[in-house]
Amino acid sequence: MVSDAADTILRAEGLSKRFGGVIAADGIHFRLQRGEMRCVVGPNGAGKSTFFALLCGILRPDSGRVFLKGKDVTDLPAFQRVRMGIGLTFQTNRAFHALTVAENLETARRASAGGAGDDAHFRAAYAAFELAACSNLPARELPHHQLQWLEICMALRRGPDALLLDEPTAGMSPGETMFTADVLKTLSRDGLALIVVEHDVAFVRKVAETLTVLHQGAVFAEGPVESVTAREDVREIYLGRVREAAG
Amino acid sequence: MRRLLHLLNGPHDLGRGPVFWSGMALLGAAFLAYPTVASSFGATNTAYYLLNIPMALGLSLLWGYGGVLSFGQVAFYGIAGYTYGIVAGNLTDVAWGTPVAALVALLMAGLSAAAFGYFVFYGRVAAWIVPILTLVLALLLSTFLGLTAGYQWRVGTVQLGGYNGMTGIPSLQIGGISFQDYAFFYLVVAVVAFCYVALRIWLNAHRGQVLMATREDMLRTELLGYDVRLEQLRAFVLASLLAGVSGLLYVQWGNYITPSAMGLQQAALPVIWVAVGGRDSLLAAAIATFLLNQLTYVLSSSGNQSALVIVGGLLVAVMMFSPDGIIVGLARGRWLSTLRGWRGTARPREATNGQ
Repeated sequence: MVSDAADTILRAEGLSKRFGGVIAADGIHFRLQRGEMRCVVGPNGAGKSTFFALLCGILRPDSGRVFLKGKDVTDLPAFQRVRMGIGLTFQTNRAFHALTVAENLETARRASAGGAGDDAHFRAAYAAFELAACSNLPARELPHHQLQWLEICMALRRGPDALLLDEPTAGMSPGETMFTADVLKTLSRDGLALIVVEHDVAFVRKVAETLTVLHQGAVFAEGPVESVTAREDVREIYLGRVREAAG
Repeated sequence: MRRLLHLLNGPHDLGRGPVFWSGMALLGAAFLAYPTVASSFGATNTAYYLLNIPMALGLSLLWGYGGVLSFGQVAFYGIAGYTYGIVAGNLTDVAWGTPVAALVALLMAGLSAAAFGYFVFYGRVAAWIVPILTLVLALLLSTFLGLTAGYQWRVGTVQLGGYNGMTGIPSLQIGGISFQDYAFFYLVVAVVAFCYVALRIWLNAHRGQVLMATREDMLRTELLGYDVRLEQLRAFVLASLLAGVSGLLYVQWGNYITPSAMGLQQAALPVIWVAVGGRDSLLAAAIATFLLNQLTYVLSSSGNQSALVIVGGLLVAVMMFSPDGIIVGLARGRWLSTLRGWRGTARPREATNGQ
């Protein structure tokens, strides 16, 4: 895949991280383009969460570099990477439950009004998810799927260039999952780069063009969704197990 | 101006709307009118009950809203008190000596809090260690100042005085007004009112919301692009400045300060005041501070030796029956239901929401 370097939003080179004897990331190379929607899959313990944590700065790698819009951010703490253009949601719901929807979004807004960050993606998502209707409710009173949507909107509030979502549709009904997929797809068409960790194969097939399969902390396969999911070895380590679990 | 009023009426404290603010205005008017019916002795005593409120407001900000418990706010109370004594005592011949001393005292309290807090928060010290570190700071200062008896322990012309403390501290004097008796009372009322209003506006503004977000979830807040260490340090310095304000007012009241102002007993008191009132409300912390100071003062000045035992017992009772604090519990109507649940005469206590 040949592409203009200026269109690369996020790049990882040889990211490695070990915890004692466990190798959680093993020389991961990764590249995310503007407007790309990438899905990352892998069995439990494949290192998906570690990979996210390394990209956004919650963890520092033992070796390897992370580049955000061409700048080396490996030594920057998480909050500075966020200010430079990364948004992230967690696997578990972590909106501020005691605050209202409006206050949650207000907290996620940058302190100095105005500025360079473009909040067009936020406004699009906020409108699509119809969160205005519940803006005065405390977050803890929201149904599960709206809470997930609120978190996506909070991560978009500062106008990031890259959005990292860790299982954004976990626990949603099939209808809500497909609706979320549509909204995310629209955002990526408007230029937002997304990485989504997801287990739902239907979701993956619907949104992603490129699929990355992580296995034992390393990139096991990467390429167009159809060809990667057709590979026998990929099915064996990941899709096969899903089928077993479902059946 | 409209925006400030809107923030002042914001949701992050007890009491909102026209009825509440009319009540507050009446209360303020009552305090202003009080010297017309009170003796100078009575006004000075009432000022004493009020003067610890800024320190309590700061602790409420730091602990209730920021989730960081400091057990050593009296360290900054003492730093401000001693610094004022030293500077004012050396500048007795200078016209603006005492206001300058007051500014230097607050500056010292703020700077020492910034330096100490930098190592605590940027060192990412675990939350439960912070109260121990701050308490140790207060006890260290108290112990050190206790050792400063003797003529060799002096700064300029002012002696530190060891356990007997520093005496003869000059009262604040601005222009022709010396802040003693009624003037001191008005000064304290004005300072307390200003601190409450300013802090309530600050808490309801964006910075305050971010501080509450760090209390709820540090990592989440950091990943919204905030340096949580800086947010906590800022709250700590603000709280310590407010403790310094109280220390400054305290040395105006008695014109002396001793190392026991930073001792173990004094270090525990602000935590008790704020916990008994309700730590996540500025208003509750202020009311409880006033009432408990009055209680302690009346008990101990009538020769009762057990004032601290009574106040400590009150803390235990509050933690059992209304863990959110008496005033916050009453305001939110949880107090009676907790009591009923405890007696077992009503339905079992509900799990508290989300906490």
